[in-house]
Amino acid sequence: MSSSAETDIPEDVKRKLSLYEKLYNISALRKIVLLLFLALAWQFYSAYIDNPLMFPSLADTMSGLAEVVRSGELPLRMTTSLRVIVVGYSGGVLLAGLLTVLAITTRPGTDLLEILTSMFNPLPAIALLPVALLWFGLGYPSIIFVIVHAVCWPVALNIYAGFMGVSNTLRMVGKNYELAGLAFVFRILVPAAFPHILTGLKVGWAFSWRTLIAAELVFGVSSGSGGLGWFIYEKKNQLDINLVFAGLLTVIIIGVLVEGVVFKFIEERTVVKWGMKF
Amino acid sequence: MAGTAVHDDDEPFLEVRKLTLQYKTARYLITATRDISFAVRESDRLILLGPSGCGKSTILKAIGGFLKPAGGSITLNGGQIKKPGADRAIVFQEFDQLLPWKTALENIVFAIRQTRKLGRDEAVEEATALLKKVNLGKFGDTYPHALSGGMKQRVAIARCLALKSKIILMDEPFASLDALTRQKMQEELLELWAETKFTLVFVTHSIDEAITLGTRIIVLSPHPGRIVDEFELDWTRREANSHLEFAGLKERITRILFRDMDYVI
Repeated sequence: MSSSAETDIPEDVKRKLSLYEKLYNISALRKIVLLLFLALAWQFYSAYIDNPLMFPSLADTMSGLAEVVRSGELPLRMTTSLRVIVVGYSGGVLLAGLLTVLAITTRPGTDLLEILTSMFNPLPAIALLPVALLWFGLGYPSIIFVIVHAVCWPVALNIYAGFMGVSNTLRMVGKNYELAGLAFVFRILVPAAFPHILTGLKVGWAFSWRTLIAAELVFGVSSGSGGLGWFIYEKKNQLDINLVFAGLLTVIIIGVLVEGVVFKFIEERTVVKWGMKF
Repeated sequence: MAGTAVHDDDEPFLEVRKLTLQYKTARYLITATRDISFAVRESDRLILLGPSGCGKSTILKAIGGFLKPAGGSITLNGGQIKKPGADRAIVFQEFDQLLPWKTALENIVFAIRQTRKLGRDEAVEEATALLKKVNLGKFGDTYPHALSGGMKQRVAIARCLALKSKIILMDEPFASLDALTRQKMQEELLELWAETKFTLVFVTHSIDEAITLGTRIIVLSPHPGRIVDEFELDWTRREANSHLEFAGLKERITRILFRDMDYVI
């Protein structure tokens, strides 16, 4: 739309942007430059302290990272962690969905959701780990339990807020089409509340990823096949500090990729396209 | 506009009898309308005209089935109205009435597919034709957020026509538009009406709009809403002496509305 308007504007009131102005407008480029500065700062600072046990250099970390990637150790840990989080995350989102649908269709459901979220949302998921270990033993079921807890409440809160925020006009339009029950929920409420739902999914992802790594730090699963958290803990015990940093870097990279690629992809195809991004 | 004259012998199509509507605020139970009665015949363009607080939108919501009457009844074709239904298509004032996650075309297709047993291809074909009819043929793939206010209301009207309802209810659909667009939309609405002669109940607070669009005008006064006068407009003689009649009618309605003026329009 804007491009046709731009061509209508006479030449004397417009000027082409310079190359520098154009490049400066690309936010990814600006961020990459900043990242390079941070990387340089890391390298110089570690060279300055010169104590690889306390603060390994970027170069050491990278070569360590390449080594454990090549040996297949890190990818194995990564897939273990990712497999667990997929199960825990989808479980939490599913539970949140069920609770919110119950909450908007029935009065007791509303009260239940309000009570549960106000009770459990402030409770750090990791605090439940001791109880989970007691119930489910030393293994991944315990971690999945805490992840479900970490995901469920923030997601439920956001979905619920989204549903409540759907305009009365849109609700009446849905009713006008004689939509009711689940059809009304999925064809009107869910898409109308999608910006909130997406926010909930993002927050839930961040919570669950942190919780997973924290829980894995506490124990590695029996046969030594723990995930990324365990990898970090194990390497610290073996004093391979550059690998500890490599592990941390991997945790960060996965977090950023999910946020910046997966969620961005969903966002571009939904709320941005619909003009609903806030 | 020949053939649009009033059919006196017709059975009432929509009948509102002694309708009392109430709503609750935190501290009061408020009576919005008391003992309102009127009938709408098929192909009528009935205007509910009045200042804010006269309950005109509330009456429309009750006909739409969104409000339960505290007293009286509303019947459509003899059947009591109990809940919202696709036999009464509604156009709202708000621009956000389109589903923002669907294109203009898909908004209409969705309306058709939800309310009538029609295959996707047929629905698309029908929706495309309707979009053309409201002069938005090129905007089928545009999402609502990229449409102007007038375009959105055009899609909303097309969507309503797509339901093939017995009656179309419009709640100040042009109130948020600029004056020029508004005038254009009124003309277009009359053209659309001339094609299928749908029955229309139209709420407005603009006397000009009422006279431009209506075959009948019901004038309401506020607190509580009640009918103070009713006018029948003879559209067969419209072309000949429209100016005179317009001016005269406008003056009369204005006088009625300002008669015991302790409220603001």
